[in-house]
Amino acid sequence: MSTATGTGTGEAQDLAPVSADSLAALLVATERPRRPSALAASLTFGWRAVLKIKHVPEQLFDVTAFPIMMVLMYTYLFGGALAGSPREYIQYLLPGILVMSVVMITMYTGVSVNTDIEKGVFDRFRTLPIWRPAVMVGYLLGDALRYTIASVVMLAVGLIMGFRPDGGFPGVLAGVALLLVFSFAFSWIWTMFGLLLRTEKSVMGVSMMVIFPLTFLSDIFVKPETMPGWLQAFVNNNPVTHVASAVRGLMEGDWPTDEVLWSLGWAAVLVAVFGPVTMRLYNRK
Amino acid sequence: MTTATTTPQNTSGDGGSLRWALADSWVLTGRSLAHWARNPAPVIIGLLFPIMMVLMFGYLFGGAMDVPGGGNYREFLVPGMFAMTMVFGIEVTMLAVITDTARGVTDRFRAMPTSSAAVVTGRSIADMLNSVVGLSVMILCGLAVGWRAHEGFSRALAAVGLLLLLRFALLWVGIYLGLVFTDTAAVTAVQTLVWPLGFLSNAFVSPDTMPGWLAAIADWNPLSATGTATRELFGNPGWQGSSWAAEHAILLGVLWPAVICAIFFPLAVRRYQSLGR
Repeated sequence: MSTATGTGTGEAQDLAPVSADSLAALLVATERPRRPSALAASLTFGWRAVLKIKHVPEQLFDVTAFPIMMVLMYTYLFGGALAGSPREYIQYLLPGILVMSVVMITMYTGVSVNTDIEKGVFDRFRTLPIWRPAVMVGYLLGDALRYTIASVVMLAVGLIMGFRPDGGFPGVLAGVALLLVFSFAFSWIWTMFGLLLRTEKSVMGVSMMVIFPLTFLSDIFVKPETMPGWLQAFVNNNPVTHVASAVRGLMEGDWPTDEVLWSLGWAAVLVAVFGPVTMRLYNRK
Repeated sequence: MTTATTTPQNTSGDGGSLRWALADSWVLTGRSLAHWARNPAPVIIGLLFPIMMVLMFGYLFGGAMDVPGGGNYREFLVPGMFAMTMVFGIEVTMLAVITDTARGVTDRFRAMPTSSAAVVTGRSIADMLNSVVGLSVMILCGLAVGWRAHEGFSRALAAVGLLLLLRFALLWVGIYLGLVFTDTAAVTAVQTLVWPLGFLSNAFVSPDTMPGWLAAIADWNPLSATGTATRELFGNPGWQGSSWAAEHAILLGVLWPAVICAIFFPLAVRRYQSLGR
């Protein structure tokens, strides 16, 4: 049997008939295609997460509009009362708000996982011959891009409003890098909840219950010394306080070794605790 | 077989019709109160938010906040939060009205031989009672964090009166918006307008500490007028200000609600009357 297809020049071109044997030989190849490496698989799933942002740009609203609103409100409304002037206050506030906005959007990792489970896409991924954690790591890599976008937007707004980091470009870069490392680690909590809870709404509810106290009961807005003693005890041991202090220090041009080590320590603990739990839940799904 | 049903005719003149209208209004008020008794979650959540704000701003930021003229920041904050609670009541009213309209309950009431004003009046009485409870809880919360009324009972009562006057005025805004919009999603849109109204005021900080252009907005905010007036009447710090609005806060505290009422009360009534057309 031959089929004629019209080419661009209008000529008919005959295709060779395909026998059942040659088709079988093609499908049942003697050599199985090479299994993709862990890195390749993770990057592929990371790219999928990036494409999701491209197709649904509204999800960047929380990454941009909310933090901008927060920084404008706190700087102009409360800056004078908290630090004498908005210009002075933004120097203290912006690194903290940067941490807050990025930490707050980490919860969308869990929401994405939960949505994929509900749609059934998740089950398809689990049948693929790839490195098991690739799907999870992919979510987190995709979200790392969101965190970067959030950081760039926040810094741009800050610079327009008068934020001047004494640490210059290296300090800002180091601060953002530290924040991305911590956020990557922090996201594992939400991937766990994404696998554990049934609905998107409950994932968001639980994450808000955790994120709000952690971000507000920290040194993001004011120095802990101005707080009552009982509150200082919590604030000083809050991981978000360590990250905010470290990022602030790096952007100011100091190299606060203690705070940086605390932040990296917390990141390591979060991955060590929630990484295996998440993978265990993922494998049992 | 035919059955004749007669609706009770009111033949006792104006006094009787007023009595009927009040009775109908009270029945519908009871209905709203019963709703809250059976499903108290929204009311409790509505109260938890301002309490959380008092605790957060009072303890978290309080030590760093500067009150012009000196004084305890929590004493400055609490009257502002009272006013804020009154403003956030718009959402409660609006949601209740939208829900009733969407479920067809409002149309049923309008088809009944009840006073045409009873539905709207019943809603307003219920919401005012809800606000009295909310304000009482906020006063207890204020007392717990160290706020006190220093100017005697009569002036404190006048301050509470001003707060409830603001709530009464905004109630009609809520009823009107609830009748205009048919979808509960509209409440979220209104929230985005109410929040700036709450924050661009002197509820949290004195306008004297804000940039000039922002201070002007905050000074002329209806919430600021009530906030400053109640601070003055309670004898709390931070009510003295350099602007005309701050100096005549009690006058504005009465004028703003009167203006809001004058605009939205007729709008709400007219909107309700034209529902079926």
